[in-house]
Amino acid sequence: MVIRALQDTTRDQVSSAGTHHRLADAEPGPALERDVPLWLQGSDTAVAALAGRLADGWMVDLEEVGLEGLATLNEVLDHAATDAGRDAREVRRSVTLARGDAADISALVALVVDHGVSSLVLRVGTDDVTTLRTFLDDVAPAIREGAERALPQGALSSRPVRRADARARRRPGIAYNEVPEELAGTAVEPGDAAFGKVRSTYLRGGDPGLVLRPRTVAEVASAVGFAREHMHLPLGIRSGGHGISGRSTNDGGLVIDVGGLDDITVLDEAARLVRIGAGARWRDVARALQPHGWALSSGDYGGVGVGGLATAGGIGFLSRKHGLTIDHLRAVDMVLADGTVVRASATENTELFWAARGAGANFGVAVAFEFVVDEVDEVGWAQLAFQAPDPAAYLEAFGRVVADTPRETTPFLILGQGVAQLMAMVDSSDPGVIVSQLQPFAEIAPLVQQQVVIAPYAAVMNMFPETAHNGRGEPVSRSAFTREITPGFASASADLIRSGASHWYQIRTVGGAVADIAPDATAYTHRDANFALAVMGSNAQRLDRWFEPVRRHASGLYLSFESDRHPDRIADAFPPATLDRLRRLKAKLDPHNLFQDNFNILPAHDHTRSAT
Amino acid sequence: MNTGTNSGTNTGASTDVTIDYGHDLLFGTFVTPTNHPVHQAVEQAVVADRAGLDLVTFQDHPYVARFHDTSTLLAYAAARTERIHLSANVTNLPLRPPAVLARAIATLDLLSGGRIELGIGAGAFWDGVAGMGGPRRGPGESIEALEEAIAIIRGVWNTGESGALSVRGQHYDVRGAKRGPAPAHPVGIWVGAYKPRILRLVGRAADGWLPSIQYLQKGLPELAEMNSHIDESAHAAGREPRDIRRFLNIGGQFAAQGRGFLQGPPSQWAEELAEVALTYGTSGFILASDDTALTQTFAAEVAPAVRELVADARGTGRHE
Repeated sequence: MVIRALQDTTRDQVSSAGTHHRLADAEPGPALERDVPLWLQGSDTAVAALAGRLADGWMVDLEEVGLEGLATLNEVLDHAATDAGRDAREVRRSVTLARGDAADISALVALVVDHGVSSLVLRVGTDDVTTLRTFLDDVAPAIREGAERALPQGALSSRPVRRADARARRRPGIAYNEVPEELAGTAVEPGDAAFGKVRSTYLRGGDPGLVLRPRTVAEVASAVGFAREHMHLPLGIRSGGHGISGRSTNDGGLVIDVGGLDDITVLDEAARLVRIGAGARWRDVARALQPHGWALSSGDYGGVGVGGLATAGGIGFLSRKHGLTIDHLRAVDMVLADGTVVRASATENTELFWAARGAGANFGVAVAFEFVVDEVDEVGWAQLAFQAPDPAAYLEAFGRVVADTPRETTPFLILGQGVAQLMAMVDSSDPGVIVSQLQPFAEIAPLVQQQVVIAPYAAVMNMFPETAHNGRGEPVSRSAFTREITPGFASASADLIRSGASHWYQIRTVGGAVADIAPDATAYTHRDANFALAVMGSNAQRLDRWFEPVRRHASGLYLSFESDRHPDRIADAFPPATLDRLRRLKAKLDPHNLFQDNFNILPAHDHTRSAT
Repeated sequence: MNTGTNSGTNTGASTDVTIDYGHDLLFGTFVTPTNHPVHQAVEQAVVADRAGLDLVTFQDHPYVARFHDTSTLLAYAAARTERIHLSANVTNLPLRPPAVLARAIATLDLLSGGRIELGIGAGAFWDGVAGMGGPRRGPGESIEALEEAIAIIRGVWNTGESGALSVRGQHYDVRGAKRGPAPAHPVGIWVGAYKPRILRLVGRAADGWLPSIQYLQKGLPELAEMNSHIDESAHAAGREPRDIRRFLNIGGQFAAQGRGFLQGPPSQWAEELAEVALTYGTSGFILASDDTALTQTFAAEVAPAVRELVADARGTGRHE
């Protein structure tokens, strides 16, 4: 009871009042990566009954109890389990065999078939390699074969049998027992130890009913198939789980977590062509590319997953010089709603290739991307802090400086009450270039802190340590683009900052290479914008009251930074011609609207799924 | 790590009364055993090992869920390092039964090639201890329990003695326990202590003393007072004061300009630590660090400079 209590990280404190072992308001944890089965060993009825009530396994020495004893104790265990409201299958039976027992295969098969034994442990001297080899190579396969022949098909499933207390936390409407065999071993349910680590995203608290964790493309297809059988439930697709909008988790629905598909492979050294799994993190991508002298602009934080960002845009620290992440995409592999796996590129499934770059989440589960990455030497990395008592004046000056700044430099600004923090990357390892491009920013307002270093791009992506995703509640985030920082935009922004309705006001600069691409070349259309604004608050109504005036001086939105689920936001994200084109493709590829939980583009035909 | 001693003489640089027990100097780090990121503490041990430090230590708070279990962490870190010695700083006795602790330490010392030391304390944070099912002990009781535990631990390690081990104490009642295994090297028992009564226990029974600078209420000069409790008790027990190595857990940051004790350039740190060594006989400096650069600078720029300053003052300088 003490061990189980300390593993229950859903609670803040745990107590257990026993005669021999006690806990009083102890801190549970650390959270387990997986349920560690608790096996009891003993040959008396009291232990067998205890195992039936509480344990995940029971071990007994066959020599000690004999076959008859085993049958009797098994019965005791079964009764105790049933009396405790458990399924007797929850407790795995393990017998320890003497060396001589390993010779009689039919007797061993009988242990499995007649006594429900599913673990056979051979007592063997450390020097007796021959016996061990024979047991592994000949006896074990023969037992499996014999048992499979004698038992009904599927009886020897590797599907985990969950404890009754874990099953009690299941959510309605999910066919837990029909999770495909290949996904069952890695799937996480609300009662599992690993649930605490997969339920929430960076900012959003989640409580999904089932998290599927495919390890291969075929398993992703199988997970999508399972999701098709659950059209009545929310469906989140998770790569890194960092997304500000929080759409990669939900309440009571399904999550397909592709974090396991995280391979990073160089396909063509000369062409700088790299294949990256959707589940990789940008910090790992940066680390993998650094030895080649390469980098791929992503966002501003290395913990973000590849899949979410690379289907939405990718506004990062090298954007002005090298463009968006999606501008480097040459091909993407996606699992579509019907389970087929397709490759989209400039020559295959071209319409999907267009849509995947800015609206990918509506069309399937991206599993791998092929990017042409950039040659990037060490970069200049600046963190400047300013006094900014007049946010409007600071913003206008910032806008003017950016307009005159060469595209090597991509600054991100965080503006607060009285202070401004600027993070800027200069794609140059020449101190003279770095200083000359940063100097105009340093003159905007009194500097209170400055740090400028020359570092690899990977060092900037790995600046912050990996943190757990323990978001709680609903994130409230708003997004907009603007070509320039007009006096109206600046003054509405200043009002917003002073209101206290927002605790986070960030402007990322775009333009430059981003604007070199035609607006209709990708589903991301905001090519003429020079500034992307992201604002976060804790109360949506209050934030909107102050954000609406800012929005009137801006246009568009970036999906990754918008949490508002109002249908109007779709029209902000996609201009009418783009939206029509997306809706036609949606009707073709996902007519029943399986992928509708992340800024839904409705199919052009009226095939909406039931809203129960 | 109970390395040989110099023939120390009291040749402090200041005019105050100074103590120098003449030990060679040891330098180490004090790493937070955080379990997130899961390998961070181990990586910091590897950093300390590669930087050439003598010692890496971890707090032991078994009631804190965001920390690794320190005994398990020590085992994992020992397997990942090559040369450095490792210790808890300090082991929480009330949650670690002493006879089993002695075997665990001996096992790890054998597996690591003689690189484990036993930092140990009487216990603290009694709500946490009791919450985990451990005993809640008053100050006198906890010291009494520690003394019993040290007798048990030494008894388990002492395979030279024939016959089973029995220690009949108020807190631990060991009857007829098998002895052994003996550790690979003489494992130091280093006690975290501040008050006179437990300092006297250090003088009687321990191999080292492991205080933290931030718990010295009157600052560094308090070390002199505490030393005298240890020294007197050592004499009374027929031991030499220098049988007990004096450590100090320290904290600091490097800065271009000096701003205070251990807040300045490495040369300033070296002078300050050399003075502590020569004034209070401190011969082991353990820096709280979860930061690779801090650890590396401490190892590369502070440790050799302190050694040189102290050797010069002792008149045993080797200029090579």
